[in-house]
Amino acid sequence: MARLWATLGSFVIVVGVLVGINVATDNSPVLGLDLQGGVSVILQATDPASADDLLVIRDLIRDELESLGIAEPDVRLEGENIVVDLPGVKDQTQALRAVDVAGIVELRPVLQCVPGAVGPDGLDGLSDGQAALATNDGTQTCIVGPSAGSGEVFARGSAAPQLTPDTGSWYVTVDLRDDGRPVWNSIAAACYAAGSDCPSRQLAIVLDDVVQSAPVVNQPSFTTGVEITGSFTEDEVRDLARVLNRGAFPVGVEAQRVETVSASAGDDSLRAALWAGGIGVIAVLTFLIAYYRMIAAVVVAGLVIWGGLVYSLAAFVSQATNYALSLAGVTGIIVAIGVTVDSYVVLFERLKDEVRSGRTPRNAAPRSFAATWRTIVAADLVSVMAAAILFWLSVGSVKGFALYLGLTTLCDLVVCWFFTRPASILMASRRAHASGRILGLGGSQ
Amino acid sequence: MSSADTPMDIASSGAGRLYRGQTAIVFTQRRRVGLVLSAVLILATVVGLFGRGLELGIDFEGGQSWDVPAATVSISDIQDVLDDLGVPTAGSRLQERSSDGDSTIKVQLVDTGDVDPVDIRAALATTAGVAVDEVGSDLVSASWGSDITGKAVRALIIFLALVAVFISIRFEWRMAVAALVAMSHDVVVSVGVYAILGLTVTPATVIAFLTILGYSLYDTIVVFDRIRENETRFAAHRVPYTDIVNVSMNQVMMRSINTSISSLMPILSLLIVGAGVLGATALSEFALALLVGVVLGTYSSVFVAAPLLGVIKERSGDWVERTWETASGDALRSMVLGGQPVGRRRRDASPSEPDDAGHTDEESSRRPADASSLMGHAPRPRRRRR
Repeated sequence: MARLWATLGSFVIVVGVLVGINVATDNSPVLGLDLQGGVSVILQATDPASADDLLVIRDLIRDELESLGIAEPDVRLEGENIVVDLPGVKDQTQALRAVDVAGIVELRPVLQCVPGAVGPDGLDGLSDGQAALATNDGTQTCIVGPSAGSGEVFARGSAAPQLTPDTGSWYVTVDLRDDGRPVWNSIAAACYAAGSDCPSRQLAIVLDDVVQSAPVVNQPSFTTGVEITGSFTEDEVRDLARVLNRGAFPVGVEAQRVETVSASAGDDSLRAALWAGGIGVIAVLTFLIAYYRMIAAVVVAGLVIWGGLVYSLAAFVSQATNYALSLAGVTGIIVAIGVTVDSYVVLFERLKDEVRSGRTPRNAAPRSFAATWRTIVAADLVSVMAAAILFWLSVGSVKGFALYLGLTTLCDLVVCWFFTRPASILMASRRAHASGRILGLGGSQ
Repeated sequence: MSSADTPMDIASSGAGRLYRGQTAIVFTQRRRVGLVLSAVLILATVVGLFGRGLELGIDFEGGQSWDVPAATVSISDIQDVLDDLGVPTAGSRLQERSSDGDSTIKVQLVDTGDVDPVDIRAALATTAGVAVDEVGSDLVSASWGSDITGKAVRALIIFLALVAVFISIRFEWRMAVAALVAMSHDVVVSVGVYAILGLTVTPATVIAFLTILGYSLYDTIVVFDRIRENETRFAAHRVPYTDIVNVSMNQVMMRSINTSISSLMPILSLLIVGAGVLGATALSEFALALLVGVVLGTYSSVFVAAPLLGVIKERSGDWVERTWETASGDALRSMVLGGQPVGRRRRDASPSEPDDAGHTDEESSRRPADASSLMGHAPRPRRRRR
């Protein structure tokens, strides 16, 4: 008994503190594009691009944003422009930095690298198409020949950092596309031969006029993939892999302007959803109190605690991860009320069965909870699995939905174990409640 | 009504029996009703999908957009203009965008219906009090690309495979089959409602369908958990599987009714308060999908998943031999309440050959009742009250 009281008390205190922290720090859930609006960046291709190219760029930008942790961007084409709407991003510079993910990667043979930074006019005698570019760490300047190919030779998203376990050295692997292999091999062969175009045998991987890496070509032709080795740190390898993946942009794009966007669903939708949710909850509670009488007090308190927990976690998660709460998320939480109430209904029906077949409530409550807990865990595990897999494997708004589905379901399980269990057992074990009347069973005895 | 077989008073009215969990409905006899109803619903869905198809929103199909200078007009002004022109605004998007003090209202429409886009542009310019040239016009692509659909479908397939494995381990594979069939039934029919009513499918709708999928599985597992429990409870009695299904259905009926009422109340309130009174149409369609889904999820657990499980199980393992007549009336009620099969049961198969224990048919017909002595733990007798 004492342990049950301790569980109950400490859990209520923990949730109270969580809610208190959120209220005290004015931390509330970040709302999605449809509810709160956001910041929009309009991008334009730097060179003429076909409609297919633009669609490819749209998908790549979304992938890049999601991999950088900017959740649920709304990316679409309008005419020749690419419009990126970002929920939960607070200011324009942050938005610009976030969408600065597109640029084309060029492959340029290296003529010569010299130490130190050299200004754009520091080196004379560059022939047509040649350029003097700084390396990404700023310690060297390389004179590179004209672009021989673009990052499109690499298969999209195939670049990955790798670690040799024995030596602890990092390297990058990237696959070649079938149609990119001849291009890559002709560049590689030219460099491997160390002719006048590529005397250094180095091939520079250039993004935004910065040499990201200039590996030495060690073989004249490649079949499926390329390994880039060197004395890299883990961070350097990750950056290089990101650059190679980014190379799949068929044309470069640059930001034209930044706009703030108003909510598309608007305040009235949020207000309507909240009103509807509130009225719905009151209706459910009225129904449950009418049906289950005194023990429904457990549901009322349980739902309040569940609500506090969900609110706190939603506020924390949406602030920490950019997963804004959209209209779909809000309504999803309203539906979750039904599933949460179900755990109480299953418990109370079980309790009534046990009491009807002759047990006292005191005796029946722990048994009923044990049986109910098995059922609820089995059923909720399916929801948690759905949430985990959808979150892990899908993108966009489906991912945001999965996050809030998982959150509400886990809250249900936590509240069920730490609140409903002690509360219902303690309530049923009160001597005054021995008759079964607390379950609304008075008439049937 | 004789109370000799049952340990307690039975309520005289149907509602009373329902409230006290004393119902004895032979669900499996009504199997055909559920089957026919579901077949009709699925047929209607197929007709709807191939006849009308789904109306896809701007996120899926793209459309047209206009940029209206917003110095003197508001979003609701524009909404009025579109309504006056008779432009369908379902699935459309109106946003105010501003940069450096200039603000524009972006109007995005999936299609313009019978209205000439040129007229829309002119009407928008007139409302804003600017020249037609100042209203920018462009085509908009879908923002929900095929790769999003592809990734979501892949995630869903992996999820369903894992759910099948999970149910097979936690329960058994036959229950996995029944649960997944019931779930597909719910999602397909919900999609059908969208096709038949011609509602616009938005990303929020996809979320609604996923919610339905999760709810349906959840509800079915709660029901199957009780069936599983009863399988163990009646293991010694050699009762047919249909009895176990019927007993379980009667036992969980009150829970199913209460849970669906509790789930439907917030959704109904979303539909009535949110959409009806406060006028947020985006909510109403979403709530409608959920309403249909929750009703179907509860319905299919009882009328699709459980009967289907009964059909599969009757033909497998030991259950094939258990051809006792299905219990009904007081015999079923007694099982629902106390857990012991009672009364004389007749074997459907006529030959009176002795069974493996050497009993005659007459004796073996009494076995279910006798077998109650095999139960290790009979419920405690109810305290007598005079």
